[in-house]
Amino acid sequence: MKKIKRILIANRGEIAIRIMRTAKAMGIKCVAVRTAVEPNAMYLSMADIIHDDDEDASEIPVFLDVEKLISVALATKCDAVHPGYGFLAENAYFADRCQVNGIIFIGPSHDAIYKMGNKTVARQIALKHKIPMAMGSPGSIADEDEALVHATRIGYPVIIKAASGGGGRGMRIVRHASEMEKMFTLASREAEKAFNDPSVFIEKYIENPKHIEFQILGDQHGNIIHLGERECSIQRKHQKLLEEAPSPALDEELRKTMGDTAVQIARAVSYYSAGTVEFLLDSDRNFYFMEMNTRIQVEHPVTEMITGIDLIEQQIRIAMGEELKIRQEDVRLTGWAIECRINAEDVQAGFAPSPGRIEKISFPEEPGIRVDTGVRAGSSIVASYDSMIAKLIVTGKDRHEAVVNTKKALDKVWIKGTKTTLPFFRMLMRNHLFQEGTFTTAFIEKDLDKYYKHGEYEEMIAAWLATKLFVEENLDDKKNNISFDQGREITPWLLRKRLTQF
Amino acid sequence: MNAEKPELKKLFALSSDGRKYSFTLPLKNVIRIGKRDYNIELREDEKYGIHVLWKNRRYPVEIVRTKQNRYEILFNDISHVFTVETPFAMQRKKVLHSGKGKSDKLVVRAPMPGKIIDVIVRENSQVLRGEALVILEAMKMQNEIQSVVNGTITKIGVKPGQNVMKDDILAEITVK
Repeated sequence: MKKIKRILIANRGEIAIRIMRTAKAMGIKCVAVRTAVEPNAMYLSMADIIHDDDEDASEIPVFLDVEKLISVALATKCDAVHPGYGFLAENAYFADRCQVNGIIFIGPSHDAIYKMGNKTVARQIALKHKIPMAMGSPGSIADEDEALVHATRIGYPVIIKAASGGGGRGMRIVRHASEMEKMFTLASREAEKAFNDPSVFIEKYIENPKHIEFQILGDQHGNIIHLGERECSIQRKHQKLLEEAPSPALDEELRKTMGDTAVQIARAVSYYSAGTVEFLLDSDRNFYFMEMNTRIQVEHPVTEMITGIDLIEQQIRIAMGEELKIRQEDVRLTGWAIECRINAEDVQAGFAPSPGRIEKISFPEEPGIRVDTGVRAGSSIVASYDSMIAKLIVTGKDRHEAVVNTKKALDKVWIKGTKTTLPFFRMLMRNHLFQEGTFTTAFIEKDLDKYYKHGEYEEMIAAWLATKLFVEENLDDKKNNISFDQGREITPWLLRKRLTQF
Repeated sequence: MNAEKPELKKLFALSSDGRKYSFTLPLKNVIRIGKRDYNIELREDEKYGIHVLWKNRRYPVEIVRTKQNRYEILFNDISHVFTVETPFAMQRKKVLHSGKGKSDKLVVRAPMPGKIIDVIVRENSQVLRGEALVILEAMKMQNEIQSVVNGTITKIGVKPGQNVMKDDILAEITVK
C-alpha cells in the first residue's frame, strides 16, 4: 500500500475545490495549476501549492497536456494526480503515463478506461457478458452506405454515436434513410472535433427512455459494489440539467436487477475506483446498457447525499490500495436528493452560453442544502471552459419534500452578472409531469412549450422599471433640451450609473 | 424652460410581444393591481447590487442592453424587452403602420458567439420551419441554427469557417 501525501489537481472550477475539500480533510496536500485564462479563480485559494502555468496562447490548455501535467506533478513532488471530470479524466494514455512515472492516477486502470472509453469495444464486452443492450452495429462503421445497411437491419429510428464519445457530442438520431448521409457526416465530423476520432457506430434508438445510471465503487482487490441509481432524464441535447437520487421509476426489485448488472459490467473490466454505468430504461421497464463513465461525475453529490459516502474519499483510499470497507448490504439509500446545474446560459435564447463576470452571488445556507461551486463575486465565466456556475443540491425525506425544498432554495439563490438557468429550474419545480416523476429524456423537447415562466405581475414590474428608466433619462428636470421623442443611444454602464442615483 | 417641454400625462411600455402597460406621470413608486396600489422600491446595496423590493421580497434587477427607447430589463433572472413611448409617438406609430403592410422579412441572428462550420442553405432556396440553416460551433457544441418560419432565403450573411459574434446576421428569410 502506498500512502498519498500530495495530489496534483489536474482540473479547475468546482470539481477542483470538491476534491481538495476531501483531500485536506484526509491530511493530504494539494497542488493546483494557475492558468492565464483565470488567474484569480476560486479553486486556487484552496490549494496548498500553486503551480503557475506559463502557457502561451497557441498551445493546448494545460489540463489537456499530458506531458506538461506529468512534469508539473514530478516537479511539485506529487505522488498522485486527480483528474476530476472532463479534460483527461477518461484518457487511458494519461493514466498510463502517470503510472510509468510512478505517480498514482486516482481513477481506474488505463486498461479499464480504454475498454469502456471506446464504445465499440465496450459493446463487444457487454455482448460477451450477455448484458442487455440496444441492437447495433458490431463495430464502428466506415461510411453512410454501411450505416444504411445496418439501419435497414435494425430498423429506424437509429442513433449514430461517436466510438470515443460521451456527453452527447457526436450523436445524431436518424429517422429516415434520406437523412443518413447528412447525419453521418455531422456525427463523424463532430466526433473528430471533440474526441480526435471520427469513427462512429449505430444503435437502435430507444424512444422516450429514462436515463438511469448506477454509481459503482470497486477496489484493487476485486470487491465491487453499487451505491444505487441516479435519475438523469432531465436533459437537453444529451446534456444533463438536473439529476436526482434515487429514481422515482425504480422499485427495490428493478434496482437490484439493474445494480447487479452494473456490477457485472464493472467486473468484466476488473474495474476499480468510482465509475458510473449508464442505462436507458424504456416504458416497459426494459433496460439497456448504454455506456460506462470511468470517472467521478458532475452529479456525484446526489449519491453522496443519500448514502452518506464521500466518493472522493473512496477514490483516494482505493487508489492507495485500501480494501473497500463498505459491503453491498451496508449501502442504505436514505431520503431524496436533487441537483440543479446552475449554468451561465440564457434559457430564453435556447440555453445559449451567456459568459460574463459574476457580480454578486449568494446561496441559501440551511441544513439539507449543499452548494458545490467554483466561482465567487468577481469571478468570470469564460467561454473557453464549461458554463457551470454552481450545483445546488437539495435533500428531503422523500421526493415530494425534496421538490418543495428545492423550489424554496431556488428562490433564495442570488446571482448577478450573467443570465443563468435558474428560471428553468423554478419553472420545472412547478411542472406537474416533473412533480409526478414520469418524465423521460424527451421531456424538455416534447413536453415543454417554454423553458421558463415568469411570476404573475413580474412583466408589469419590468414595464414599470423600463418606464422609470425612460423618465430618468428623458424627463429629468436637471436636463432640459432632450427630445424624448427621439431618444438617445445609452450605454448600459451609463444607465447603471444613473440608476444608482435614484 | 419647463414650458418648452410638451405636456405629458402618460407613458406606455410596450412588451416585445405586444402587451401594453400604461403609467401615469409623474411616475410614482407604486404598481396598481386591481384597485390596490402596491409599493415598489428600487434599491442598491453592496450585498445584493441593484434590486427591487416588492411584496416583502427582494428581486434581482439587471439592465442588460438598451437602444434608444428600448430597454431590456432582467427581473428575477428573466429578461423583458420594452419600448417606452409617449402618447405622441404612439399616435405616429399607428399612422405609419396603417400606411404599409406588415414586414415579412425575418432576420436570423447568431444566438451566441462562435464559428460557422457549415452553411446548409443557399440563397433563393426554400426552407421549412425546423430546417437547419447553418451549423454554429460554440462552447465545443455544434448547434444547428434552424428556421423558425417557412419561406425563401433572400440573403446569407456568413461563410463556413467564419467567426461570428452574438447577433451577427446569419441569414434573411422572406416569410411565405
